Amino acid sequence: MNIILAGVGGQGLVLLTDMICEVAHRAGFDVKSNDVVGLSQRGGKVWGSVRFGEHIYSPNVRKGDADFVVALEALEGLRWQNYLKSGGKLLMSTAEIYPVFAIAEKAPYPHDFMNQVRADVLVEAHDIQKLSLEAGTVKVSNVLVMGLLAKHLHIDKAIWVEVIRETVPSKFLEENLKAFEVGMQL
Amino acid sequence: MKKSQMMTGNQAIARGFYEAGGHVAASYPGSPTVEMLEEIKHQYPEIYAEFSVNEKVALEVGIGSSMTGARTLVSMKHVGVNVAADPLMTFTETKTKGGFVLMSGDDPGMASSQNEQDNRIFAQFANMPVLDPSDSQEAKDFTKLGLEISETYMTPVMLRITSRLCHGRGLVTIDDRETHDIKGFEKSPSDYGMIPPNTFDKQYHMKERIEKLQSDLEQLNVNRYEAVSGARTLIITSGLAYQNTMELKPDASILKLGIVFPLPMSWIRTLSTQYEKILVIEEMTPFIENQIKLAGISCEGKAFFPFTGELDIEVIEKGLAEAGVSVGNPTVMPVGLPEEDVMGRLPMFCAGCPHRPVFDILKKSKNTVIGDIGCYSMGILFPLEVLDSIISMGASLGMIKGMKKAQRLSGTNEPLVAVIGDGTFYHSGMTGMMNLLHQCDPSDNMTIVILNNGTTAMTGGQPNASSSPYGDGSDMHIDMPKLIETMGFDRIKVVDQFDYKETKRIMDEEMKHEGLSVVITTRPCALRYKIKEPHFYVDPTICIGCRSCVKTNCPPIHMKAYEGIEKLKSSIDPTLCVGCSVCSQVCPVGAIKRS
Repeated sequence: MNIILAGVGGQGLVLLTDMICEVAHRAGFDVKSNDVVGLSQRGGKVWGSVRFGEHIYSPNVRKGDADFVVALEALEGLRWQNYLKSGGKLLMSTAEIYPVFAIAEKAPYPHDFMNQVRADVLVEAHDIQKLSLEAGTVKVSNVLVMGLLAKHLHIDKAIWVEVIRETVPSKFLEENLKAFEVGMQL
Repeated sequence: MKKSQMMTGNQAIARGFYEAGGHVAASYPGSPTVEMLEEIKHQYPEIYAEFSVNEKVALEVGIGSSMTGARTLVSMKHVGVNVAADPLMTFTETKTKGGFVLMSGDDPGMASSQNEQDNRIFAQFANMPVLDPSDSQEAKDFTKLGLEISETYMTPVMLRITSRLCHGRGLVTIDDRETHDIKGFEKSPSDYGMIPPNTFDKQYHMKERIEKLQSDLEQLNVNRYEAVSGARTLIITSGLAYQNTMELKPDASILKLGIVFPLPMSWIRTLSTQYEKILVIEEMTPFIENQIKLAGISCEGKAFFPFTGELDIEVIEKGLAEAGVSVGNPTVMPVGLPEEDVMGRLPMFCAGCPHRPVFDILKKSKNTVIGDIGCYSMGILFPLEVLDSIISMGASLGMIKGMKKAQRLSGTNEPLVAVIGDGTFYHSGMTGMMNLLHQCDPSDNMTIVILNNGTTAMTGGQPNASSSPYGDGSDMHIDMPKLIETMGFDRIKVVDQFDYKETKRIMDEEMKHEGLSVVITTRPCALRYKIKEPHFYVDPTICIGCRSCVKTNCPPIHMKAYEGIEKLKSSIDPTLCVGCSVCSQVCPVGAIKRS
């Protein structure tokens, strides 16, 4: 199983990658993952990968070989869609976070991103930001999309919940559990 | 079955050092190694760990600890070894006592570095063995092995690891901590006092320990031969390149190296007779390839694989194809992928970053600005494009003087500005700063801007000598303006850069001033010490669409089409704004208001 996670600095992507790895490990798989290297917290693009299976050599996912791309921002979903295999799934937030080129009006933000998604992949786009706010705080966006991913992976729900309980700050545990549930029901 | 845990390479090295009974760890924060020492600090209180003022000091702390018989780990990014090179090149002559491992975080592809230097060469230069892990498990195992090798052969050992492995995760088995006693420092001036003639026999010590290790490599079990029957090619590889190669299932046998200096040369020689050709797959320089060639064994490597950048699976696949090696698991690309002309996303200053007003003022000044290493290095990127040069930690302060003196010789005295942060200033800016006063012409127009934000921000906000006022005040506390004054500078302006107009007035005046002046900013890092003020909003009926606020390049601010208003007007995303007020101060018509 090959998963790419993509977003923008500050969206909790590193923690998301961490949790998915832990879940896959507890489900009995060999796991390897990548994290972005470099300027992650400063508005740049952030990505991670998770690969799990019987034996994994490289943490790197090849282009055209991902089963899932999970994007917390629309433009980042487009950026990584070519990593999907035919029939792969793009799970995407409709949140738009402007890069400097859009801020400086050098190029327009692609509001029509849904029309730019590959025809040979399945796309699920949701207003993750709004749903997260409804769950309590925008900070749980990462766990909400994890719920969306969990819906597609055949791993016991109890493991996901256990990992969330052990990972997220206890102050926001309820909001996170709720967000995960919302994601799974989407 | 042993317990296993998911760990990054950084976490695994910290764990390895803990299990090996490690005593002292020192580092200077630099990507990709930062989280290693942070992990030790947070998880293993038995170990004394510090972020030293710079890599040279970290290495020296390590030397002292090792000489006292303690197991020692010193970590830094690849360019940090340049800073630490002076003590390293001499320490390596001594007969290492407490196991000493130098973790070097190399950065093939330069994801977060100013160069791509291959520190395996540095280790060879310093007569140090080099271990090169290929995943988290090996990162842990090799840390322990490195300490063993260090003590057995009385040598410092380099644990070379790359960015991808530092940050990547994998399963790691967990063992208990061993106990190693610290034997204490035993006086032996001829062993530890490195002046001639004490250094003469040490040259032989260094040579002989590498030869001894080379002849013992087989017992160490650190290199692995994976034969494929009928294969006509032998691939020699190490690190992540090994894992990426294995993904492809090449029609070749593999010699997977764990130690890349010294090489198991007699083994390679024997194997070479069984294969038609040897291919070396390694990132960056032909380090392994050249050693093999020098031994008179023919092989190829860089003829097929790039000398720069990461060797991803696709890159290796292409090289193997060119070398005539078939693979059992080729890349299958879906047909008709859309073109990848997706808009780039450059990093930018955080919302509320105290560097923003300073760079806005510098941009408007149009002066030549020499930058340094830190978050503010981003001032060279679009759309700020304020900085004109970035070289290395602290270099701005030496460079500005050379530029000024050259300018004066050519008959001009245009304003020059150097920008440096507090962490970088303490790291290696102070010497250049003092040098400005040497043979100083009072009319040399130079302005030094010190961004004193109270943390080493770029690497995630580690504390430095300016952090004390923001913590409990118990750690070292350097008063920056007093320090500069004590050095002998007499024109020092301390500014609150969130008072935009006053800061602009002062900076403009200092940049105009024909002489040497220092401006010290006082606002702390917005990422480390969060600003939680009510957010600002734009009143579109007042906004004239001039984009003064947009040009400060703040994440929440962009132009927007409002309903019923023809022209685009500015807008502020309330979920991203932290309320620093800078945009409201640059607005010429008062359209930006606090909520």
